[in-house]
Amino acid sequence: MKKLIFLAFFISFFGYSAGENKCGELEKCFSFDSSVHDRDSLQRGLGIYKNYCSSCHTLRYLRWNRLQRDLDIPETVLIDDLISNENIKTSDFVTFGLPEISPIGAPDLTLRTRVRGDDWIYTYLQTFYQDTSQATGSNNLVYPGTAMAHVLIGLQGTQELDSNGKLIQLSKGALDPEEFDSAMRDLVNFLAYASEPARIERERNGIYVILFFVVFTAVMWLLYREYK
Amino acid sequence: MASKNSLMSWIDRRLPVTENLERHLTKHPVPSKVNFFYLFGALLMVVFMIQVITGIWLMMFYTNTEEGAFASVEYIMRDVEYGWLMRYMHSTGASAFFFLMYFHMFRGLLYGSYQKPKELVWLFGCFLLFLLMAEGFLGYVLPWGQMSYWAANVILSLFGAIPFIGESLQVWIQGDYVLSGATLSRFFALHVVVVPLLMIALVVFHIFALHEVGAGNPEGVDIEKYRDKTGMPLDGKPFHPYKTFGALPAIGVFFIVFFAIVYYAPTGGGYFIEKPNFEEANFLKTPEHIAPVWYYAPFYSILRAVTFGIPFLGITSKFLGFIIFAASIAILFIVPWLDRSKVQSIRYKGIFSKIAMIMFATSFITLGYLGTKPVNEIRTLIAQICTIFYFLPFILMPIYTKYEKTLEVPDRL
Repeated sequence: MKKLIFLAFFISFFGYSAGENKCGELEKCFSFDSSVHDRDSLQRGLGIYKNYCSSCHTLRYLRWNRLQRDLDIPETVLIDDLISNENIKTSDFVTFGLPEISPIGAPDLTLRTRVRGDDWIYTYLQTFYQDTSQATGSNNLVYPGTAMAHVLIGLQGTQELDSNGKLIQLSKGALDPEEFDSAMRDLVNFLAYASEPARIERERNGIYVILFFVVFTAVMWLLYREYK
Repeated sequence: MASKNSLMSWIDRRLPVTENLERHLTKHPVPSKVNFFYLFGALLMVVFMIQVITGIWLMMFYTNTEEGAFASVEYIMRDVEYGWLMRYMHSTGASAFFFLMYFHMFRGLLYGSYQKPKELVWLFGCFLLFLLMAEGFLGYVLPWGQMSYWAANVILSLFGAIPFIGESLQVWIQGDYVLSGATLSRFFALHVVVVPLLMIALVVFHIFALHEVGAGNPEGVDIEKYRDKTGMPLDGKPFHPYKTFGALPAIGVFFIVFFAIVYYAPTGGGYFIEKPNFEEANFLKTPEHIAPVWYYAPFYSILRAVTFGIPFLGITSKFLGFIIFAASIAILFIVPWLDRSKVQSIRYKGIFSKIAMIMFATSFITLGYLGTKPVNEIRTLIAQICTIFYFLPFILMPIYTKYEKTLEVPDRL
């Protein structure tokens, strides 16, 4: 009986879920958990970021040289292709020369995945559709009335809402749906990395710390047995 | 007390080291049979040390200004070697502190660890809970994220709800007409100096008072009754090495769980570090839903459950909520004088005591769950019922503990 009560207590504790699940106009966000351990994916994500995001958004808590170290970027590529501005040092933040407060209101993206969640960003990027009532000509299911234009239209192609509120593909983009999906995974992985670069080391080394304490506990258990 | 070692005897003549080591460690008798509930005290000491050490580390790199606070936390997370580890240990440590504290106190309620002559041990403990809540609240403001700012606003506005003096009191606490950098820097001073010093003092009092009256046991047996020739109780064992080595495996298990969270779920799914706190505080933008961290949720629920005031006395619902919220903690302080039972442990108490404990625990957990959710009518109603169930076991305690049938407590452990 006692064990049952404790079990019920722990289950109820883990049953807590943060806030409500709603994802804008969608019932639920598309499920996606980022991984920061695939270096190639992070590099591809950085590429998409530079080409499609960096003209409006900053990463003002992330340094170029941290990026270089974690993503294994050659110095020449970093300086010539990525920074390509002789006034910017490698120890500077990744702002692409944008001011601290964006004149068009584009938020800084460094911690965005931690504020919204990986799945929210991932879903947001996929659910733009044509809407002539908006100033940008497009709208979003996750964040209705968003001020952001559908900048990935060239990759994704155009989408439209049918009468049931479902997304349908109008025209093809440069990538087919699977390729686009995988590109968005790379991008969100990269943003998740940017939000917490230490996560690579954290998730890699945690198991050794835990194993150390498993051994510690075993030894201490033997000591305890001696003095029981 | 003369030591054979000449250096030790030199010191002992000037500072009673050996005497105190024997008094508090090697000859201090503790009950030979206790259960796992008695491990939480030791674990709380471990967590307290984690908080102090990681806190000092964080303080070296943290900036306590409105302009610099948020960025300095990211600096710690990125540029300081192992800064992320220190921060996550500190934030997870806060959750662990409360988790263990709640179990530690529940143990006290179950086995009557507050009964005569342990009233002071219990009182110091209750003060420690109060200080821990204050410490946690002050610390949560320091990262200067959205939730830091708005949760602090909710709590500080409670002081503003006090009739007559409220508004000026709130301004006095904030040091400004709104929550601002002035508030942040004084909260920093309180968080790193004042409250921890008080806590250390109270922990010392808590333990000294405990060692004076002796630790309890789940049976509620008085172990002092029967002693052997050396004066050691027959059902007792020296604290060191028996209990110190007994606690070590538990500390090991605790660290396994603790570091599993630190390394693999440091935000605790949004319950240890809330998502909006990764956005810098913005006094123009209120978050959609202000939720407390899990360890305040039960009390926050009680606060919100009060949806009515007493208009003819000029008491608003907010102020009444504040009073009942304060009472939910204050009532713990007087438990030693509410319990009229002849026996200490729940094992020998009657059925009403058992029902009361289940009622209290269930309502506490339910209130905790509700505290993290947005309000609606049904949730408010459940919270109101649970608030009553939270208080009833204490309010009725003088009656049911006096009249219920108890079992005979054995002589020996």
